[in-house]
Amino acid sequence: MLSTLMKVDAFPTLVQPRDERTQPARIVAGYPQTPLRNPAQPLVRRSPTLSELTGPLDVARRVKLLGGDIAGHGERQAIGQLIHLKVRVMDEDGAPVGGAVVEMWQANAAGRYIHPNDDDHAPPDPNFYGAARLVTDESGTFELRTVKPGAYPVRLVTHPVRPATAWWRPPHVHFSVFGKVWLSRLVTQMYFAGEPLNALDPILNAVPDAAARERLVAQLVPPAAEPSDALVYEHQIVLRGRGATPAQP
Amino acid sequence: MKRAAKIPTGESTLGPFFPPRYVDAGANDLTLLEGRKAKGEAIEISGRVLQADGTPLENLVVEIWQADAAGIYRHPADPRQGQADPNFLGWGRSATDADGQYRFKTIRPGAVQGRAPHINFMIMYSGLMRILKTTLFFEDVPDPVLSAVPPGRKVLLVARKQGQNSFRFDIRLTGENETPFFDD
Repeated sequence: MLSTLMKVDAFPTLVQPRDERTQPARIVAGYPQTPLRNPAQPLVRRSPTLSELTGPLDVARRVKLLGGDIAGHGERQAIGQLIHLKVRVMDEDGAPVGGAVVEMWQANAAGRYIHPNDDDHAPPDPNFYGAARLVTDESGTFELRTVKPGAYPVRLVTHPVRPATAWWRPPHVHFSVFGKVWLSRLVTQMYFAGEPLNALDPILNAVPDAAARERLVAQLVPPAAEPSDALVYEHQIVLRGRGATPAQP
Repeated sequence: MKRAAKIPTGESTLGPFFPPRYVDAGANDLTLLEGRKAKGEAIEISGRVLQADGTPLENLVVEIWQADAAGIYRHPADPRQGQADPNFLGWGRSATDADGQYRFKTIRPGAVQGRAPHINFMIMYSGLMRILKTTLFFEDVPDPVLSAVPPGRKVLLVARKQGQNSFRFDIRLTGENETPFFDD
């Protein structure tokens, strides 16, 4: 199935160390799992070889794609503010990454995930599962019709019956993206502009650089004729790596 | 007009709600692609993933990437891509069970020029603000990536043979015998 193969035009891909201020701290104050799960020893520096500068391009042959409209239709519509996400995936040259598999998942409008780990603090929506697995088009774009996720309480498991809430996660959408090479694999979260909880979230604020945090926030664009029934948010995802020859128009 | 350089997006944790349906049935079996068998020696790789206090971690996501039996990557950056096994994707995903165990069926990778046979691992989980990357080796033999690891910790990247075609590769995220992870 050629249509599921990622197009790769600039090789080799170069991957350089990132500016640490643009990436989250590994140990986050107030997030008790982080010191239990993150390495205490220094990470080992290696020079990337062919092994790290190649990667799976046809993941879509191994996994099942799930549609780009998860808000439902007719009698089966999810409850909540309808939104339309337009996300562009590019590399560090700004060149579109087409054919990339993107996995997204999110809470429903009440802040509830369909997952055995979630408790019953908020109602499930029978018409909302909250996950889509898509492939970017030639321009590196994917679009998704969904509902805006609700805020979600993070529990501290200190009380078996009524666990204390450590903090409230702001509305956010999770993304897992397969890039052109192994080192461009990305797991990230997208936030919404204007949410007061953004400033209080230890996870978003684990990224030290303010401009880098701002780039994790989707922007509401002025209402347009199409789609007429949903608020439109735009977002950019930049994967690691650039062509050996800088991209030209 | 030259495109402006972009800064890579900040990583974040997978969180506790990664959809179980994203761990597709068969995604941890690299020996079969759309029903066709890959060339080479089929092997099993399994192990437990533990956090600092020794607790096994459930539903942690492990992904692997490797060369085929002839040491070829299915990717245009590999000059030998044209000869890659058409029935070997090189990628797989497994989620740990309640005992912290992951499991892959795969093909023993051939040596890539300048490298010893190896398999790249990625760990994604709640509480991990960034993907952790490590590499499995079959033997402690000369390899530029393995030599970058402090001598006393190299042994932690060498899988233990536990049967005819079975290897064990435990991953300790932090604490005693912490698995070496790479800064990339």
